[in-house]
Amino acid sequence: MKPHHHLDDSTLIGYSAGALPSAFRVVVSTHLSICRSCRQRMMDADAVGGQLASLQEGASMSAHARNDIMSRLGQRSTPTVAAPATRAHDPDVLPQPLWPYFGETYSGLRWRTIGPGVHHIRARSVDDGHLMLLRIAPGRCVPMHTHGGSELTMILQGAYDDSLGHFAPGDVADLDSDVEHQPVTSPGVPCVCVAATDLPLRFSGWLARTLQPFFKL
Amino acid sequence: MRIYDHYAPRLLRYLLSLKVAQAQAEEVVQETLLRLWRRADLFDAKRASLATWLFRIARNLYIDSIRGEPHWLDIQEGLDWLDRTAPEDEASSTEAFTDHVGLSRAIDRLPATQARLIRMSYFEAKSHSEIAHELGMPLGSVKSNLRRAFAKLQAGLRHTP
Repeated sequence: MKPHHHLDDSTLIGYSAGALPSAFRVVVSTHLSICRSCRQRMMDADAVGGQLASLQEGASMSAHARNDIMSRLGQRSTPTVAAPATRAHDPDVLPQPLWPYFGETYSGLRWRTIGPGVHHIRARSVDDGHLMLLRIAPGRCVPMHTHGGSELTMILQGAYDDSLGHFAPGDVADLDSDVEHQPVTSPGVPCVCVAATDLPLRFSGWLARTLQPFFKL
Repeated sequence: MRIYDHYAPRLLRYLLSLKVAQAQAEEVVQETLLRLWRRADLFDAKRASLATWLFRIARNLYIDSIRGEPHWLDIQEGLDWLDRTAPEDEASSTEAFTDHVGLSRAIDRLPATQARLIRMSYFEAKSHSEIAHELGMPLGSVKSNLRRAFAKLQAGLRHTP
C-alpha cells in the first residue's frame, strides 16, 4: 500500500493533541500503520506539543513526589519487549489497529446487509457506533451525500472514484461537512473501507433520503 | 534527576490544563518518566527530541487512563516499532536536524487567532467542532487556520539559522 491521499494537517493536530473522538483516532492509527510520511508528519505535530509543554512555567509536584520516584526507580524494571510479529503481508489480515474492534482477518468478518450490494459492521464499543467497516459491491454508485459533521474513511480493499479523485487501498478521504460527493466503486473486487463519522450522513436524493432510515448510515 | 526536575513540573502543568485532577495528573507524570527510564529502548534520539517523547508518553497515558481507551497503548507501541525496524535513512530522522529555537520562534510569531487555536487543541484537548462552537467560527475556518499554523510550525522545526 502506497497511499496517495493523506491525513489533513488539522486531523494530525487533533490526534497529536488527544482531541479527536475515539472513532477518528482508530482510523488515523490505521492509516499511520501503513503510511510512513504521515508518521513523520505526526512526529512533527508531537514535537509542537512537546515544545509547547516545555515552554510553559511548571506546576508544583507534591513534596514527596521526588522521593517516590527515586524509590520506584530502584524497583525491578519492565523487561524489554520484543518487536511484535508482523503479518502485514498476509492479504487476509486487517491492519493491526483494527484488531481490537473487528478481529484480525477479513475472512472472519460477519457482515450485515444494509442495502443492495452494501454491507457493514459497526464497532459498538466505540463512540456509540460511529466507527464501522463498509463493504460496497464493485461498480456501484453510492447515493450523493454530504456529512452533517466530519467523516474520515480509509480504503482497505478495492477502490472508488469521486470528484476528489481515485481512492485505492491505504488512501484516506478526510472530509468536511461541506463536501458533497458520490463515490462509484471500481469494477472487480468489492470496496472495503473503515469509516469514522461524528454525525449521520445526509443523502441528497429523495430515494436515498427514503432509504436512509433503513440503512442507518 | 535533572530530566525529572525540568520536565515533571511542565508535564504536570500540561495535564492540569487538560483538567486532570492533581493527584491523578501527578501519577501520570511519574509513570511518564518511569516509562522513559524503563523503556529507554523505545526512545530514539535520532527521530525525536526528549520533549517530544515525553509529550507522546504523557499524552498516550492520558488517553489510556483518563479517557479510558483500553487498546490505545498497545496500538501506539505497535506504531512506534514500525519506524524502529525500518532501515535507517535520511527521511526517517526528520528531527535529527530539528532546531527547537526555530520552533519556539515560530510559535511566538503565530498570529493571535492561530496561536489560540493551537493552544485550545493542545492544552484543552478540544475537538475542532468544540473550538468552532466556543469561538463562534465556522468549522472550515478552524481547520484552515490550524493548517496554516502547522505549516509555519513545521517550517520553524526545520529552520537552520
